[in-house]
Amino acid sequence: MKEITNQIQSIAQRLLESGQVELFMAWEKGDFDYQSKPYFARTVEESKKIVFDKYSIHNLSNALLKYRDGHEKIGIVVKGCDSRGIVRLLEDKQFQRDRLYIVGVCCPGMKDPLQAMRDNSGFNPQPESTELANKCAQCIQPNPVIYDELLGTEQPAHLQGERFGRVNAIENMPVDERYRFFADVLSKCIRCYACRQACVACNCRSCVFDETKPQWVGRETSVGDNMMYHLVRASHMAGRCIECGECERVCPVNIPLMLLNQKLIKDVDKFYGPYEAGMKYEEGAKPPLSRYKEDDPDDFI
Amino acid sequence: MKVLNKNKIDAVLNRLAEQSEVFVPMQRGPQSGFFAWKSFENKTDKLALDVLNVYLPPKNVVLPQTEKMYSFQQEGVEVKIEKVYEDPNPKIIFGIRGCDAQGIACLDQAFLTRGYEDGFYKARREATTIIANACYAPGPNCFCTSMGGNPAEVPTADVLLRDAGEQGYVWESQTAKGQAATEKIADLLEDKQVTLPSAKPVTRTVNYEGVAEKLKGMFEHPIWAKYSEPCQTCGICTYSCPTCYCFDIQVKNWGEEGYRFRCYDSCMYREYTLMAGGHNPREATVERFRNRFLHKLQFFNERYGTPLCTGCGRCMVVCPAGVSIVQIINEIKEAELDA
Amino acid sequence: MPNDNTLNPLVPSIVEVIDIVDETPDVKTFYVRNETGVPFDVMPGQLAMVSLMPTGEAMFSVSWQEEKEHLQFAIKRVGLMTDELHTIEVGQKIGVRGPYGNGFPVEPCKGKDMLFIAGGIGLAPLRSFIKYCFKNRADYGKIQIIYGSRSYADLCFKDELFNQWPKEKDTEVFVTIDNPEEAWKGNVGFVPSYLEQLNPDPSGKIAVSCGPPIMIKFVLKALEKMGYTDEQVITTLEMRMKCGIGKCGRCNIGSEYICLDGPVFNLAQLKQLPPEW
Repeated sequence: MKEITNQIQSIAQRLLESGQVELFMAWEKGDFDYQSKPYFARTVEESKKIVFDKYSIHNLSNALLKYRDGHEKIGIVVKGCDSRGIVRLLEDKQFQRDRLYIVGVCCPGMKDPLQAMRDNSGFNPQPESTELANKCAQCIQPNPVIYDELLGTEQPAHLQGERFGRVNAIENMPVDERYRFFADVLSKCIRCYACRQACVACNCRSCVFDETKPQWVGRETSVGDNMMYHLVRASHMAGRCIECGECERVCPVNIPLMLLNQKLIKDVDKFYGPYEAGMKYEEGAKPPLSRYKEDDPDDFI
Repeated sequence: MKVLNKNKIDAVLNRLAEQSEVFVPMQRGPQSGFFAWKSFENKTDKLALDVLNVYLPPKNVVLPQTEKMYSFQQEGVEVKIEKVYEDPNPKIIFGIRGCDAQGIACLDQAFLTRGYEDGFYKARREATTIIANACYAPGPNCFCTSMGGNPAEVPTADVLLRDAGEQGYVWESQTAKGQAATEKIADLLEDKQVTLPSAKPVTRTVNYEGVAEKLKGMFEHPIWAKYSEPCQTCGICTYSCPTCYCFDIQVKNWGEEGYRFRCYDSCMYREYTLMAGGHNPREATVERFRNRFLHKLQFFNERYGTPLCTGCGRCMVVCPAGVSIVQIINEIKEAELDA
Repeated sequence: MPNDNTLNPLVPSIVEVIDIVDETPDVKTFYVRNETGVPFDVMPGQLAMVSLMPTGEAMFSVSWQEEKEHLQFAIKRVGLMTDELHTIEVGQKIGVRGPYGNGFPVEPCKGKDMLFIAGGIGLAPLRSFIKYCFKNRADYGKIQIIYGSRSYADLCFKDELFNQWPKEKDTEVFVTIDNPEEAWKGNVGFVPSYLEQLNPDPSGKIAVSCGPPIMIKFVLKALEKMGYTDEQVITTLEMRMKCGIGKCGRCNIGSEYICLDGPVFNLAQLKQLPPEW
């Protein structure tokens, strides 16, 4: 990883010095060595703080949304999941390809700095850190799908166990049990909207949950309102979620959000597929639920 | 000294719960926070009195996430307010740490002073007894002593518990409310002398002195653009902060009935200051970020004489972008201002 | 002081809408009273939280209080709550709580000449001060009113503006609209530039301004250029409000809450606060 850090630093320096980019997004170390966090370098001097290590989990493509209305050229380091996030932005027309210089890194699997921070904070009675972050144990695409330069050696998928294993287990539950499971899990939601903010596919300028005329979902943390929030958000993700897992990672009350998203990924693939979101950038490509074809299946309606 | 043997904790909580709603720090599945003792279930829950602290702060006892305010009936042109939901039922927060108790003291300042007393907060607060748990082993993110706190002493608590390990908790009543609670469980306490542990020092310190004053001249300083860049305005900091109290007022109605309620809101959201005509004084992330830190470190201090941060460290643990209030305070101290 | 029928400052009292007057295509004035008369006493410049029970609450400045008869609110249709308000009819019961805010400094201004500068719906809060001055005419000196709006149709309080106020003792009224119109023979131009053109003398004068934030900013600059000191200039500001009692946190400019410490500030006070409005 030290080698990749050096390679990224020299790329950043080259791009910033030549003026090819005005801003280079990568990671830097935080206060502890189990904390890497997003970093925005603008000068050669600043680029010397860039690191790439096993805690560089944060999905930087989400940060591009801050600059979507600007014109500056931006260099960005992406892993597999992050690069799918960039394809998401390009497909949604939220960013232009020619503004980006993408440095792809084949990802060896990350550890979660938030888990490590929690374990070391004194707030966790039992440690929760896993060798591989939860989201990485579901990963099917560790290698970047879009890049201008590629670093590292190609990695096999880090998926542990069966893909959609958790989803299948819930599908096999009887309906009552399934409802109780979700009512229980979603009633804990504190409606902080961190999942929405961390999500790269949640890029609407005016979010449905902030509308007042009409107000689609109330702001109470009742089971009803919470369920509506999560189900509506998951439905808006259907066919668009790139499975980066940031939503579940940042949730302060540990709601298993990826269950809902993965169920919809499985269904979209089954009914409108084969389809995996954000795997390849093609001009004019649209997610399956954003286009209409005569032979779209409709027997489940 | 009055001492509470640790194997009598359940009995004490049960006794207190006979007449009050008792809130204890609990690990509930994958979450932790202050939940009602009556809702404790062995399968999923575990008391967290021995842990440094819990993620969700106890402010929800005096200022709930969602609080019904009043219900109304509207029939044609006639409107009637049916019921005002002030909740004066006795409550006890058991096992709260000094930093969180200081947080509640800050909320008292905000809700009970300056011209108006918030009726809903007042009813809850006056009915609440605080039984604090002195802290002898601060964590790596705790900086309470730098923000005016003392982990081993909690002057605003009604009762102070001191953890003497196997010897039990020393139980010390500090106010009349505390005395009333003590009398309820007096037969469960023992009289004996114990040696208190020596408190480990707080390892993280920050120099807050003069910061509130210095910030007056730093509104346009580049420090805000620099630190707000990674911020995703996700709002987790405001929800896990023991002193954040900003709320929204909304309405829920069906047919001709309904009720108005208030719920947590976050200054980090764009809609926080969005006006009906479209004008928004804090449209950009940097403006909202700056407003939050100025509120914590300068504005609240100017208004009420104490900072709105108690040094619990939660925001630094949960922030996905790694924003650190300690780093920001340090940089403010070192910042050079133009003469 | 909060409403007299409940001790909880967040719970409104019920009033009846006794009259609704169309001022412009999107502004209506609502006259409200309850059984005993006026729900509460209000000083010029103070605010009240008006609530339509099923819809929501919003803060408005009280446009005038006709003694013991009613409160008046001039309300422009801009969003969810005001859209609904514009559909109600006379006889509808709504909620009101207040009064909030610090109001205009009517006492310290006594003996001074007054200059009122307003744009669009900004005339509504100023109107309470203007009418107060006319009610106590002898206490105030010369009165000048400069008012502008997008078009003739958008001018509020036309009857008072053209027929009543110009007839008052030692009073001048100057009206402007943004773009030329066939039937309009008066001044054409934005309020800040009309103000500079008229160039009223600063000596012994207090200037009071209200309007869209961008207009206020230009007016303050113009007044400074014309030689007005910071203490001579007063403005009333607006922010999104929910609680109205300085608790919910959102209406702050620096450490001041607009609902509690404002909405009226003089320029000296405003300069102490961050430029975030």
